[in-house]
Parts: sequence; C-alpha cells; structure tokens
Amino acid sequence: MSMRGGFERKSKASEEIPSSSLADIAFLLLIFFMVTTVFPSDKERPITWPEAEAAQKIDEKGKNILNIWMDRDGAVFINDQSYEMTEVSQVVAPLYAASDRALVISIRGDREVPYRFIDLVQQELVAAGVVRVVFAAQLEQQMQRERR
Amino acid sequence: MAVLNKKKSKVSGEVPMSSTADIAFLLLIFFLVTTVFPKDKGLAIVLPEQSEEVQVSQKNIIHFIIQPTGIVDVKRGESQQVQQVRPQEIEALWRDGVAQNPNLIAAVKTHPDAPYKFMVDVLDALHQANAERISLQLLEG
Repeated sequence: MSMRGGFERKSKASEEIPSSSLADIAFLLLIFFMVTTVFPSDKERPITWPEAEAAQKIDEKGKNILNIWMDRDGAVFINDQSYEMTEVSQVVAPLYAASDRALVISIRGDREVPYRFIDLVQQELVAAGVVRVVFAAQLEQQMQRERR
Repeated sequence: MAVLNKKKSKVSGEVPMSSTADIAFLLLIFFLVTTVFPKDKGLAIVLPEQSEEVQVSQKNIIHFIIQPTGIVDVKRGESQQVQQVRPQEIEALWRDGVAQNPNLIAAVKTHPDAPYKFMVDVLDALHQANAERISLQLLEG
C-alpha cells in the first residue's frame, strides 16, 4: 500500500447512502398520501338527534354501515342524495347484496319526525330484505334525565 | 494581544436542527396511536324477514301504545284495562312483567303523528330493561 503510494486514487464519493434526507422523503410521501386520500362518507344532515341512555356502539365496520337520514319533514337522504320514500328499497337492496348481507342500516331521524315516516322506512327495509337496523341516537346522560 | 484573551465558546449558537425530524415523527406516532374515531351509537333492532309472521298468544303480549303527546298506554294481553304511564316508568313495568311471564313480548305501537323521539324513549327503556323480543308497529285506526 505504502509502496504504491500516489498511484492509488482515493475516491472522494462516500460509500454510504446519504441518510440525512431520509426524513424529508418520508414526509413527502406522508403528505402526498394525506392529500390524495379520500374518505368515503356522506355529509351530515342538520338534524336534532334523539337521545337514549341505552345507545350502544354499532358493532360493524364503518364501510358496512349505511346511513339513512330523515329530516323533520320526512325527507329521506341516502349518500347525500334525496330519495322518495318508495325508492328506498330499490336503493338499499343492491347495496345490501353487494355487502354480502353484512350491511347495517343506521336510521338517523330527527327527533321530531312523525313516526309514520319511520314506519314507512322500516317497511321499505323489510322489502329490501335488510335485517339489522340501528336507530341512531346520542348517548343521554343520567343527569339530564333526572333534571327533566 | 487581544486575540489571546478572547475565549471562543465551543457551544454552537444555533439550535440543533438534525433531530427535528425525529421529534416530528415521535409526535406523529403519538397522535396516530392516541386518536380514536367516534363510533356511531344507537339502539339496535332486528327487523323481521319478509312474510315472516309468527302467531303469538295474546296473553304473552304487552302493548305499549305511544300517543302523540308522549303518554304511553299500557295494555296487557286480553284485558281491556289501560294504564297510562310515562316512558321512564316502562323499565320497571317490563321487569315486573318478565318476572311473572318469561315469554313476554313487547308490542310497541306508535301513533302516526307521534314524534320519533317518544318511540326512541320507549325503545330506550325496553333496552335498558334487557328486553329482546320487541315488535315495532304503527298504531292503526
């Protein structure tokens, strides 16, 4: 080594991959995926929720829950779209079949909607063959009930 | 001469920047782990299958008739006697009924004009009393 001396040229390039910019790359990827990810969810309708003490978490994955919104005047909204009451079973049936009969319907009715509309929706759901239904409600605290 | 007296500090005046990315990742991972998405809550029921009709003996049925005012009329089986209660009292009522007759079925009949919240109140009370056989109907006539 020492004999050959000046003939061996020492490479200036480092043998290691530069790791100082690794974090920058990770952040770029992170931001890219954050920007491009779209969560499939419908918009919330302005309803006043009914309250229930026994309300329990829906035991199903988010993608298997279909929300049926009902406004105070009985208007039905599914996936941000307004439907006639008689169309509900035709809308729900294909979605139910596509989910391999695992779909849970969450009826999100305004607390003041007359019950006749809720009953009509239930009839439509029975016609679509749906079995599992949840009446969405907010958890009522014990204190509130005692005050009433 | 003056140069000798001036002691140069070895500590850099700048904040070390090389570990900011590590700190950012630590924060990111912390929030990823601690974030909980709120899950929907509600009262679950099971709808009957189409054309599924079960004949039930009248003496096993307790009727809860919800009026538009929120008052609940309770009718037991064949007797025509009507008891008016508030939704809060139904839980105790159901527990008593089940103690006497384990095969009891709750038939919740709601007036078409009654607000949805009253039905939810009654259903809530029945859920709290661990009732499982519940039938939801529209009050006819």
